[in-house]
Amino acid sequence: MKNHLLQAYRQAPWRVQLQWIGLFLLGLVLISFVAGVYLNISGRAAAAGRQIQVMENRIGILKREINDLATQLASITSAEQMRSRVKDTNLHQIDPNLALYIKVPGYQTRTSVVLAPPPNANMIKKPILQPQYTTSLWDWFVDNIWAAPDKPINVDLKVSP
Amino acid sequence: MKPPFWTRYLILSMICALVALGVIIQMVRIQNIPGAKAIMAQSELYAGVKETIYPARGNIYDRGGYLLAGNETTYEVGLDLSQIVDPETIATVTTTILGLDYTETLAYARNLPGENSRYYIVLTDFVSSDEIEQLNILKEEYANRPKQKNEMRPSLAGLVWNAHTKRSYPEGDLASNLIGFYGFLDRKEGHGFFGVEEAYNDLLTGTPQEIYMASDPQLVEALPEIHAGASLVLTIDREIQAMTETVLENSVKWSGAEAGTIIISDPRDGSILAMATTPRLDPNEYWKHDEIFPKPTPFNRAVSKSYEPGSVFKVITMAAALDKGIVEPDTLFYDPGYIEVGGSYIYNWNGGAWGDQDMTGCLQHSLNVCLAWIATELGEKDFYRYLEDFGFNRNTGIDVAGEIHWPLRVPGDNQWFEVDLGTNAFGQGIAVTPIQMVMAISALANEGKMMAPHIVKSMIINNHQYEINPVVVGTPIKAETAETITRMLAVSLQEESSSALVSGYEIAGKTGTAEIPTEFGYTNETTNTSFVGWGPTDDPQFLVYIWLEKPSISIWGSDVAAPVFQEIVQNLVILLDIPPDAVRQNLTTK
Repeated sequence: MKNHLLQAYRQAPWRVQLQWIGLFLLGLVLISFVAGVYLNISGRAAAAGRQIQVMENRIGILKREINDLATQLASITSAEQMRSRVKDTNLHQIDPNLALYIKVPGYQTRTSVVLAPPPNANMIKKPILQPQYTTSLWDWFVDNIWAAPDKPINVDLKVSP
Repeated sequence: MKPPFWTRYLILSMICALVALGVIIQMVRIQNIPGAKAIMAQSELYAGVKETIYPARGNIYDRGGYLLAGNETTYEVGLDLSQIVDPETIATVTTTILGLDYTETLAYARNLPGENSRYYIVLTDFVSSDEIEQLNILKEEYANRPKQKNEMRPSLAGLVWNAHTKRSYPEGDLASNLIGFYGFLDRKEGHGFFGVEEAYNDLLTGTPQEIYMASDPQLVEALPEIHAGASLVLTIDREIQAMTETVLENSVKWSGAEAGTIIISDPRDGSILAMATTPRLDPNEYWKHDEIFPKPTPFNRAVSKSYEPGSVFKVITMAAALDKGIVEPDTLFYDPGYIEVGGSYIYNWNGGAWGDQDMTGCLQHSLNVCLAWIATELGEKDFYRYLEDFGFNRNTGIDVAGEIHWPLRVPGDNQWFEVDLGTNAFGQGIAVTPIQMVMAISALANEGKMMAPHIVKSMIINNHQYEINPVVVGTPIKAETAETITRMLAVSLQEESSSALVSGYEIAGKTGTAEIPTEFGYTNETTNTSFVGWGPTDDPQFLVYIWLEKPSISIWGSDVAAPVFQEIVQNLVILLDIPPDAVRQNLTTK
């Protein structure tokens, strides 16, 4: 009776074999999926890395070009060049005795050039990328769960300008 | 009995495991063979490059934002030996376009890669963008030229160029004496020489950073932000500087002077609006320095050369005496034509006796005897204390490189004699730099407050502009004294109908003619002629100091330096938008 019951609940060998194969294939699919995701992510990271290199290079070139153009502009508008243009266009310096001076309300005399904003309280440097975009899940766990369990978890995802 | 089906899988798995184990053992073995460390070390060479990034040198602007010193792109041209296929074409093209030596270039191009451990050879540097453009066009044309059968296509493969920046001075020699220059030919160790380029070298250079650039794109990180060196905005005005240099050059030619110096400052804050000296150097060709400035010619006479100023110094003596209350403008002095000080006799410039003179008359006629008397009345202790208060015993601290000062001899020094009290009173036996005179006299034009002369108006560091506040370095005289001496000098200029007068503007000023000390004593055949003036007297906005050395047309400051002052001020009031006194006072009243 006992043997009979056991036999009743035993799977057919071909079914067991099929289950093993299925299990193996499932494992294979899972591994392939993980490998695919890994390859995809690492491929994109590599492409981004290469893009960074290209952009860094481009930044360098652009900075050089800006400097170059500023210097060229300064050369073609130099005091000597401007004097030459004045001469060519038959202009001459005003005779102070002929000058007419009038009071213009609100007129500001020449002030020194402002080429950059003055220093202010907002000078504390902020990273371009917020930590939310650069911190790995692992780092986040270490920082917020294990290392500082007393602190409230930072969930503020607002990106400040 | 038939073995279970999984025994086949088990056997297969064991075979795979054995193979994997074999691979792992082999991996571990390879990593521990004797040459492994060398191979690992070599592989690190290809893993990335460490490079020191030198930030772009900061720019220099005038107060209006015109670029005085910047950077431009230039190229290093070299040979990548592993890529060369046609050495002859490379030699021909570089000879034609870059002017290189054909034989030498051909010899370089025929080197095999790795020969003498060389893979890259620098052919030339500081090649212009135009020349690179020509090379680029040719290189592309050769590369795209259709290849005929059995025909050798010319090629510039292996000829490479890398861009880098070079210091550039778009205004040429304008203000070069105070800007200085940067030794750009030395790309790694270059630094600034003279002027603000040297004084602010560290700030302009910025902080070089060593970075690591991984070859593996997985490991690439954004480079740290490397800020360019600080940029400087100077106090000088390009138009005023250009005008001053033109007037100075014409004056030196006209007067036959050996050299000249003109400084224009704003006495209210000590800022230098223009500083012109001769000779000048185009900093784009700084290697001509030794040719243009044979020793001991200073690069900037305004700060690096001292001289006995002569009668312009009388304004200091008079200011000290007025401030101390020793004399007043209407104090009378009988001038017998000589005075004895310390056993030596002092005479007037014309050897004459001028009789009764008030203090304005003493300045107007530039009487040495009168001023020597004033100094003796003031007493050596107070006289030299005033000179020290006016800053004649130290550098002014102006922010350009190369400032010097001649030690002030005071009572008690071995080199000081009693007669010095008399001669120092009219600017002989005492040596000063023009910038010391400008600083001291700024107190007379600025209600007694002496301002530190400075060239840099603001700095741009990390994209923020920092203004530099003017500094009061002392108050050697009272405001009332400054007003009194200004009035006296204005009156004396008008009464002598000086050639320094400018129509429509009241100016205070004083000429100076100084004998030059030589090994054999003073000579009056050649002189140093000077003029100092400021205005408008009711609201001084400029101070002009002129020094022409050894003019041949006349030995007198009134003949040589005074007309130069007039020309400078006539142009200056236009460039500074200062209306004539009557118009200005009328506009102010409204």
